[in-house]
Amino acid sequence: MAHVRLNGLSKSYGKVDVIKDVSLDIEDGEFVVLIGPSGCGKSTLLRMIAGLESISAGTLEIGGAAMNDVPPRDRGISMVFQSYALYPHMSSADNMSFSLRLAGEEEAQRRSKVDRAADILGLGPYLDRLPRQLSGGQRQRVAMGRAIVRKPEVFLFDEPLSNLDAKLRVKMRAELKELHQKLRTTTIYVTHDQVEAMTLADRIVVLRDGEIEQIGTPLELYDNPANAFVGAFLGSPTMNLLELEVGAGEATLARFADGEALRLATPAAPGRTTVGIRPEAFTIASEAAAGRISAEVVVVEPTGAATELLVRKGGQAITVLTPERLAVRPGDTVWLTPDAQRTRVFAGGAADAA
Amino acid sequence: MTHATDTHTALTAPRRRRFTASERQVSVIRHLVLMSFALVVLFPFFWIVSAAFKTQIDLLMGKVLFTPNLDGFLDVIFDKTSDFARNFANSMVIGLISTFLVLVIATLAAFSLYRLQWPAWVLHSLLGWSVIFHMVPPITLAGAWFTMFRSVGLDNSYTGIILAHTTLHLPMALWMMGVFVRDVPKELVEAAQIDGAKVPQILWHVVLPIVRPGLAATGILTFIFSWNEFPVVLVLSQRQTATVPLGIGKYAQENTIAFTEMAAASTLSILPAFLLLLFAQRFIVRGLTSGAVK
Ligand SMILES: Nc1ncnc2c1ncn2[C@@H]1O[C@H](COP(=O)(O)OP(=O)(O)OP(=O)(O)O)[C@@H](O)[C@H]1O
Ligand SMILES: [Mg+2]
Repeated sequence: MAHVRLNGLSKSYGKVDVIKDVSLDIEDGEFVVLIGPSGCGKSTLLRMIAGLESISAGTLEIGGAAMNDVPPRDRGISMVFQSYALYPHMSSADNMSFSLRLAGEEEAQRRSKVDRAADILGLGPYLDRLPRQLSGGQRQRVAMGRAIVRKPEVFLFDEPLSNLDAKLRVKMRAELKELHQKLRTTTIYVTHDQVEAMTLADRIVVLRDGEIEQIGTPLELYDNPANAFVGAFLGSPTMNLLELEVGAGEATLARFADGEALRLATPAAPGRTTVGIRPEAFTIASEAAAGRISAEVVVVEPTGAATELLVRKGGQAITVLTPERLAVRPGDTVWLTPDAQRTRVFAGGAADAA
Repeated sequence: MTHATDTHTALTAPRRRRFTASERQVSVIRHLVLMSFALVVLFPFFWIVSAAFKTQIDLLMGKVLFTPNLDGFLDVIFDKTSDFARNFANSMVIGLISTFLVLVIATLAAFSLYRLQWPAWVLHSLLGWSVIFHMVPPITLAGAWFTMFRSVGLDNSYTGIILAHTTLHLPMALWMMGVFVRDVPKELVEAAQIDGAKVPQILWHVVLPIVRPGLAATGILTFIFSWNEFPVVLVLSQRQTATVPLGIGKYAQENTIAFTEMAAASTLSILPAFLLLLFAQRFIVRGLTSGAVK
């Protein structure tokens, strides 16, 4: 096991800068998720750590040793590819033990290591099958088995679950988490699925256009997004970003176009401002009262466990999530009490949100 | 092969679909077209094979019905003045060795060009050059080779002819192997790198097993090209190193053409390629990479 240190890492293809000055310290045994929209450079960054992509500038350390010019095989890493990349002519067992064979380990030793990995992953009955004789989920597990038998210092995952169907994805996600709890190997995991990021990560790194937007634990990022982009990227349904007006002399009140106001947790500068508030930060009532704002119901989506409402307020759409089962219909008026403590003012505006 | 399995599943399928009249018409037309193709391809072949079993007189009189005899074959194989057995052995040696060399070089080159990070201009100039080289008629090279080989004592030698055939057929093999090597997913090479494989090990353990069908196909074609190659051996070889096409050509003498012997020799010359195809067919299976990615 080892800590991984990225120091001002950059990557350019010709004139295009794909990764720009990324610095990140990953603790020994930590599970770090890189997340960001498509094309932001997640795979590129991961491949730079793996040694599959050269580093244009900056330094990479794994376990305290500089790795910039070390070939992938000597970096103490193993990687699970989005496409699995199983050797098609080798059985599951041979796929898993290939690295051991290359390292010159004895047959018996190889066998016992593969068996142990197969035990962990429930692959016992499939060891003699070729990849084409396996289901997607089984292939995924063989790819994971291939990564664990080597006992690497660092695991690298590039969207390992994105080829699986929704149900299997949830199951494998849980297995991955369990695996990490068992092995405690430093893990860097790329995904663009925010649920995966929230559930798996010790810390999440949000990337955009090759730059780090924010680093933090899942709940830190959820509760305190540094900007509208991070706020909108994490959480489902997504954070409401409201364009409101802060009047002179009332710095903690942000007004809708119809004059009703939202109370802010922190004072904001007067003028137009972007306020972020999560859909579950409202309570709903059917009558007017002090501190409530009125809104017109547009869509009602009961999911069983919760009800999702889309309402219209002063020309803006607001998503509201409530555990209650509501008897409201489109066209009705409801009164919302926003939780002032859960409002965030984004000075940068919402224009650049995902 | 795929066709055979298709019919098989169609026959064993529990419920067979009825063909509509227009579908049946289309299928009749398709078969007629295929049959006429087959006729065009096979007729000369049958003509030659049947000529090999005729006497020269039957042949010249254009008899369709005849009593088959083996004289042509016996002459070709056993006559003291015939070099055919020797030609056959020469062709084998030259064909097998040059094919082996071509496969080794073409596979290494294709792997290097497509899977090790060369700048684009290296790739394109090499491939471009190989196309240009392939377009030059071999006969224009043969003269220069003859002079070169004679000055180093390689004229009329197996080495010279093998080198010539290797050079001649390398471009085609490089292009074919290039296609097969590019079919090997990049991630497999990367996975092997991470698993600790060095370049030779990646080639041996990962790339070669996957391109095996490609090797078989390229090998067969290269061998057949070498087997049939005429203009270069005509210039480079004399009696001891003459190959099958030269042997067949010798039956056309100045004033007579020994048609029967020529046909018998031609018939025999088809055998190796035919056997090779039968043998190599089992390697030419498609879909070897299925299950690798995705
Ligand atoms: N060889 C290359 N040459 C030039 N640009 C490249 C090259 N490879 C990747 N890029 C660019 O780098 C950027 C980052 O690509 P990368 O594959 O890392 O994105 P990603 O975050 O993994 O996206 P996704 O979620 O779609 O996988 C993209 O804009 C891409 O166009
Ligand atoms: Mg990617």
